[in-house]
This record gives sequence, structure tokens and C-alpha cells, in this order.
Amino acid sequence: MSDPSVRTVVDALEPWPDTVEWRPVSGKLFWVQLIGIVTWTVVFAAGLITGWFFAEHPAWLVALGVEVLTGIWRVVVAARAVQAWGYAERDNDLLVRHGLLVRHLSIVPYARMQYVDVTAGPLERAFGLATVQLHTAAAASDARVPGLPPEEAARLRDRLTALGEDRAEGL
Amino acid sequence: MTSTGPLHPAPTGPEEPAPTGPEENAPTGPEENAPTGPEKTVTPPPYPGLPTENEALPPARPPAEAEPRQRLHPLSPLLKGAKSLVVIVAALSWQTLSQLGPLHFAMVVAALAVAVVIFSVIGWFTTGYQVVGRELRVTEGLIWRRTRAIPLDRLQSVELRRTLLAQITGLAELRLEVVGGGKTEAPLAYLTVREASALRERLLALSGRTPVVAPEESPSPADPAAPPVAAPPAEIALHQVRNENLLTSQLLTPQAFFLPIGLAWVIMQFVLEGSWTFVGIASTVTAMAGVLLQPIRRVLADWGFRVSQDRDGRLVLHYGLTETRSQVVPTRRVQTLRITWPLLWRPKRWLMLRLEIAGVSVPESGNDNSSDRLLPVGDLDTARALIATVMPGVELTAMATSPPPSRARWLHPISLRFHGAGFTPDVFVTRWGRVTREMSLVPYARLQSVRVVQGPVQRMLGLATVYADTAGGRAGIARDRDLAEAWAIADELASRSRRARAVQATPH
Repeated sequence: MSDPSVRTVVDALEPWPDTVEWRPVSGKLFWVQLIGIVTWTVVFAAGLITGWFFAEHPAWLVALGVEVLTGIWRVVVAARAVQAWGYAERDNDLLVRHGLLVRHLSIVPYARMQYVDVTAGPLERAFGLATVQLHTAAAASDARVPGLPPEEAARLRDRLTALGEDRAEGL
Repeated sequence: MTSTGPLHPAPTGPEEPAPTGPEENAPTGPEENAPTGPEKTVTPPPYPGLPTENEALPPARPPAEAEPRQRLHPLSPLLKGAKSLVVIVAALSWQTLSQLGPLHFAMVVAALAVAVVIFSVIGWFTTGYQVVGRELRVTEGLIWRRTRAIPLDRLQSVELRRTLLAQITGLAELRLEVVGGGKTEAPLAYLTVREASALRERLLALSGRTPVVAPEESPSPADPAAPPVAAPPAEIALHQVRNENLLTSQLLTPQAFFLPIGLAWVIMQFVLEGSWTFVGIASTVTAMAGVLLQPIRRVLADWGFRVSQDRDGRLVLHYGLTETRSQVVPTRRVQTLRITWPLLWRPKRWLMLRLEIAGVSVPESGNDNSSDRLLPVGDLDTARALIATVMPGVELTAMATSPPPSRARWLHPISLRFHGAGFTPDVFVTRWGRVTREMSLVPYARLQSVRVVQGPVQRMLGLATVYADTAGGRAGIARDRDLAEAWAIADELASRSRRARAVQATPH
């Protein structure tokens, strides 16, 4: 089935290395995620400690330990996952890859664009980041690029809309 | 939109209908797109029938820019009210009846009926629709007014639905499917059948980009002399499902097979316990009804299934017994075709064809309310013919697929050799399933995006799954391919879909 003209490279995250220039997302995305994880960990830990004060049962401490370890593990994963995010603009489509445990690569043609979302939550804004998401008519399409500096987000948004607008109706 | 037929705006572009003012654009829609058809008539001569084209349609319409808002049929509040009244009475149930006594109960029901009818009348009074340019506007609501504008060039399919009550009263509900929004946008309930089919013809004509219209034929409801204005356009019958086959096919379902077993079990239980309480029987019957209902509903829904093609090349599907449906689908709106070979149908060599259309919500299992059938039951030859109609050049028997590498056996111990993916000139073919074999055909031109996903187990085995997403909801999925092959498939899909789009976009 494989077309002989297609170069095949056996690396899950680096397909077509000669034609594709992957752009990383900002490293500051890690700090956004770190703050999120730490906040949740602290909130849960506070709950567990409160529980321990009310009933001094060792289960609370075990839960606390598990919870902190999970938090640390999530931080490690987040640090690596940020590096796994990447996007590339080819002539006709946008490539987005992400995920460590389950790796995703999406190929979304510009012509299929329905609309582009640029969002930035309060934490992201504090770090000067934004998320660009390209929507197609298929709900399953998954082209979300987080952790972009605002000017890069704006550039990507404008480029996507410019490339998308002269195409067909997207269906 | 007026009937300024002879004004032919220059064919501005194949893509979007030029925004040159809706009133010129609308009637000339089919001609404007004529160049995209097989015949290369660039500027068709002003067709004399055009000025009268739309005058024949709505009964009284001043030749103003926008036609007045039109109401739904005066009986529709009664029909809608009857529906909700049934629900309310069912909710009141036996308990209330025994508490109130029949006289009071009747009074309560009467009061409720009056209230429901008043409510419905208000709803009817405030609901209206009008065609403005290439848009259908539907206005509704008394306190929260809502006007919804539906651009007709985005129309995916139009369905005319008639429930039993509507059939008695000669009314019909018109449902338009547009992308976005999980449910049907703007169901117009109810219109008379004639109005509804006239409106449907008009909306479909306005929806424009159906290109294969010969200029002479394009205004299908054009003939001003012909009194049956809403006469359905000439249709070429493609296939009619025999009702015996439909019955047999639904008897060959797990539910039907479980029925005798279930009955025997219930009877045995009663015999053993020796108690025939009313509650016991009633609850058993209810439980059985739930199981039994699905095949019966299928039979009722698909009764008298007819597929035909109108002269603009659109698919026209008629089916249903208690609720008849007639659905018009332009073939280029078909996102995916799915072929299913259920286990129990295999001795008969039967299969089922389903369409996926953007905007028609994907049914949950067991919910048959959506209109996605192309062929509820049929043999291979019928299916081949229908597929060739929907997707020209696609040959069901010549679908070569290759299975995943044999190390994927760890993930599919039984069904490995029934998985497969393959490229044909026009569609991406994937198939799967050991017990119920299924195949899905995704035209490259309909691809929305391509995804490659690799889970942890797959990474250990060096496998990956490729998804070919369409707007129809379900994707064509090539499961557990060799990683290098998965990349190749994804790349091939992307480039093939690009080529298919290019062909579609620039036909001349």
C-alpha cells in the first residue's frame, strides 16, 4: 500500500524531516502548567491535611504522599510534554503534534478551516502566551497549538485565515 | 428575491456565489454554476421561463425585494399541541385518574388541552419563515424572539417528514440539515405537503452549487401552466426494498432471536413460582417491549424504502410507514458511506448501507431516529449499483485492502485479518469487525483532516492508527498500521485530498 514516492521515516515524532520544519511552543508553557499543577496539588493537600486533623488516621498521610508523588510525576511529564508540542506550516496544511504517552499528529488542510480561535486564560496572559485552535467541520479534528507568544499567535491566526479564506466552503 | 430572470450576472467564480445582491443571484443560481457541469455552456441564453419561475411557487407574493414572512399551516398548533397533550396525559397517568374520578379528570385534561392549544397558537402566530436572497430566515418566539438565517448554499440535506397525524391532515414537516448544531436546524412544522415540497424544491434550487443541471431543466417547478405546481420532479427510480426482505432482515437480528429464549425463561419462572401477579406480568412485558421495540421500529421506519435520483442528480429517499420521510441529499454532500454485514444476515448475503451527512447527528446505538440509511437491507448487486450512484467510479467488489502487520495480533487476537485499509482512486477504504463486518468509504474530496495517533502499547509494537476525519462524525480509521506505513498513509491521504479538492475547485 505504501506509495514508493513517499519517504518513510520511522520516528514517531519526526515524519518527513526534510520537508517539515517543526516549530516548538514557548517554554513558558511549562510554567503555566506547573502553576496549575502546584495549585491543585496544594488545594488537595490542604483538604487531606484538614482531614488528618479531624481524624488522625494514617490513611490520610498515605493519601497525601500519593498525592504529592502524583503531583511531582505530573510536573515531570508536563516538562517533557511541552517539548513534545510542535507545529509546522506547510504549503497546504498545518501539522500539529503533541502527546508523550499517546502521541498525536494532526494534518489539517487550510482549505478545511471553518474558524480560528485564539484564547488566553489569565495564567497564560500573565506569561504572555496564547492558544490558537483551528476548527474544521469535523469535530474530531485536533489542531490546537498552546503556548504561543501573542505576536506569533496573531501571525499564525492571520496566516491561517488568509490561507483559508480564498478556498472553498470547507466541506 | 425578485424574478429578474434575464439578468445574468457574469459567472463570477466557481467558489462562492458572488455577493452581487441576492435578488439577482437567486434565480440564476443553477445557470451560474452551469460551467461546472459537464457541458461547457458558459453563458446560457436568458431562459424565458425564468421570470415566471418563482411566481408559481408561493401563492401570493408581491414582486418586492423580500417576500413577506410566511406562516406555518393553521393546523400546526393543533398537531403540535396534540403531541404535547399526549405526553402530559401520560404523565398524569392512572394514579391521578383514580384520585380525581373520571369527570374531574376529563375536566383537567380539557383545561390542559385548552392551555396547550393557546400556547401553540401563540407559537404559531409568532413563527414565520421567508426566503431572502439565498437565505431562509426563520423567526420564532414571543418573548425571546429569534431569527435564524440559514444560508442555503450550506444546505446539506432536506427532509420532509410526516407523522401519522400529519398524514391524516395532509401536512408535512420540513427539516433542513445544516452543518453545526447537533440537531436539526429550523424544522418547519407544519406545512401542507404541496407547500412543503414546493419550498423544498425552491430551497434546493437556491442551494445552488448542484452543478449538473441542464439549463432547460433547472427550474423544476417552473412551468407556470402546469397546475400541480408542487409536483415532484421527474425521478429515476433506483431501487425499492422489498418489504418481505425488510421483515426478514429484522427477524434476523439478535433481538428477534432472543425473544423466544426470553419468553421461555419468563414462562418457566412463572410456572416454577406459580404466581401470576399483574405487576410481574406487566413489568416483564415492559422489559420485553424494550428489547422488541427496536426491530419493530426499524421495520416501521424503513417500510417501503425507495431510492431514486432526481434529474439534478440528487438522491431522493422515501421510507416509513407510520412516519413517512422523504429525504433529498445532493450526492456531493455525502461525507462517508458505511457498509455493514451483520452476522445473521450472512447466509442471505445481505448488507446495509448508511450515509453520513454533515449536520445529521450520528445516532447513538439503538436510536434509529436519524435519517442515515441508504439501503436498510439489500444484496451485493444493489449495493454496488447504489454506491456507483452516490460515489461514481467506486466499485464495491474491487476494494483491495491490506491488513495490519501480523504483530498487531497482540491487539486484535481474533479479528486481525478483518482489519484493513486501502486506497482506491476516489475513496479511502477501511474495514474492520469480526462478527459484524463493516467497511467505510471516505472520499478524498471530503476529508477534513488526518490524524496519526500512537498509544503506549502501539509504540512498543511499532504501530500507529490513522484517522481520516470527515464532517460526518465518524472517521475512516486504519487501525494499528506499521508506523512507517501509517506515516505514508497519512501523507498519501493529505496529498490525495489536496488533489481531489483542486479538481473540485477548478472544474474548468
